[in-house]
Amino acid sequence: MTDHLSHSILNALADGELSVDQLASTSQHLAQCPACTSKALYQSLLKSSTANAGQRYAPPPQLQDRLVRLVSEADSEAPAPEFRVTPIFPSRSIWGFASVGWAAAALLLLFSVSVIFVQRAAQRAEEASAYKAALVTEVFDQHVATLAGNVPLQVISTDRHTVKPWFQGKIPFSFNLPQGLSSDITLDGANLTYIANRPVAQLLYSIGKHRVSVFLRQASGKAEETQSLAERSGFHVMVFGAKDLQLIAISDVDPVRLTELVNAIYNAQAGDQKQPK
Amino acid sequence: MRLPWKQTAREAGPQTSAFERLVLPLLPSLYNIAFWLSRNGADAEDLVQETFLKALRGFASFEPGSNFKAWIFRILRNTYLTSRAGLAATRTVALEDELNGNGNSGPAQLPEAAIDRQTPEANLLQMADRASLQAAMETLPPRLLEVILLCDVEQMKYREIAFALEIPIGTVMSRIARARAALRAALEGQQSPSRGLAHD
Repeated sequence: MTDHLSHSILNALADGELSVDQLASTSQHLAQCPACTSKALYQSLLKSSTANAGQRYAPPPQLQDRLVRLVSEADSEAPAPEFRVTPIFPSRSIWGFASVGWAAAALLLLFSVSVIFVQRAAQRAEEASAYKAALVTEVFDQHVATLAGNVPLQVISTDRHTVKPWFQGKIPFSFNLPQGLSSDITLDGANLTYIANRPVAQLLYSIGKHRVSVFLRQASGKAEETQSLAERSGFHVMVFGAKDLQLIAISDVDPVRLTELVNAIYNAQAGDQKQPK
Repeated sequence: MRLPWKQTAREAGPQTSAFERLVLPLLPSLYNIAFWLSRNGADAEDLVQETFLKALRGFASFEPGSNFKAWIFRILRNTYLTSRAGLAATRTVALEDELNGNGNSGPAQLPEAAIDRQTPEANLLQMADRASLQAAMETLPPRLLEVILLCDVEQMKYREIAFALEIPIGTVMSRIARARAALRAALEGQQSPSRGLAHD
C-alpha cells in the first residue's frame, strides 16, 4: 500500500476540490486503507457539522426593509418624498380636549398592540427561516453523502414490499410507498438516518440518471400540507407535509419531474388523489 | 415563489433592481458571516449596511455573469477589516499568519493535540453537539474563522474564497487545514479539559 493520504488531500476530498485523476487515485487508496477512510469520513462529518453549526445568526426582519429603503434612496436623484401630516380631526373646536385625549390613548394602545403583534410575528418568521435553512443544509449534506457512493444503501431493493417492512422496529412511524410510477422512476433502496437528532427514513429513487432522496419523518405538531421550495448548489429541495409526516425531497432533477414523484408519495400517504398545495 | 422584499421594493431604475435581485437573497449569509466576525448584532448590522452601500456604489464595475457572491463577500470582508471590530481583532492575532510559512501553501502543520487521541465514536458524539462546535468555532482566530465559514457554511469553492479574501489558493488550503485541525483540537479540549488546548 502506498503512503497514507495527506491532510490537504483529505480536506480537498471533503470539499469536492480534487481533480478527476486525484479523485480516482484517492478512491483507490481509500478502498484499501481503513485508517484513511476513517479520517476521510471524519473530515466530511466535521465539514457538514460545521456547516450546520455555522448557520447561527438570522438577520432581524427590519434590517432587510431598511436596506431596501437605503438602496432605493441611494439610487434616486430626487429627494425623498416629504410626508405631510394631515390632521386627523378637522377642528379642535368640534372635539373637546377630553375626546382628543381618549382618541390619542386609543391610538397609542392600538399602536402598542400592533407593535407587539408585529414583533412576535417577525420573531416567529425569523425562527422559521433559520429552522428551514438548517433543515435544507442537513438534507443537502445527507443527500450528497449518499451520492458519494462509498457506503452502500442499508437496504437495496426496488421492491416497495421489501423496503417498507425493513423499517419496522427502526422508526416510530410507518409510511406508504407509491405504486404505478412512471417507467423511468425507480426505487433504489433506503437508509435509516437522522435529521435534527430524530430518526428519518431516507428513500432513494432514480429519475432517469438523476438520484432523488426523500426523507420522511414524524411531523412536530400538525404537518402543513403546503409545498415549499428551496435551492442549494443546484439542487432543488421540496418540503411538504402529509398527514402526520413531514417529507423532504432533494434532487438535481428538473423540478417538474421532482414534483411528479413528490405528488405520488404524497398521494400514497393521503390515500387519495389530492395534491400538496 | 414571491419573495418578501419584492412586495416592499418600490419601482426603481434597472441598475437598482438588478442589484437588489442579486444582493437580497444573500442577506442572511452576509449577516451571519458579519455576526460571526464582529461577534455583535449591532456591529453586524452596521457592517452589512455599509457593505450594501459600498457594493451599490461599485455595482457599475461588477461584470454581469461573474461571481457576485464572491464579489460582495470580498467587500464585506474588506469593510470588516477596516471596522472597529476588525481592527481590534487583527491587532490581537497579528502573528497568526506567520505560523505556517507566512500563510503560504504547503503541508498543514497539525497541532499536537489534533492527532488521533480519541476514538472516532467519541469525536462523532462531540461533533453532534451543535453548541460544542459553535463554541469551538468561537475560539478560532478571525482569519481561520472566515475561511471555514466561506468554505463550509457558504459552500464556496477554493478559487471563490481566494478571490473573496484576496489570497492565493494555496493559502486558502493551508488555512482550511489549520482551521479544521484547530476545531478538532478545541473539541477534544472541551471533552478533556485537563489536557488543555493545543496552541496554534
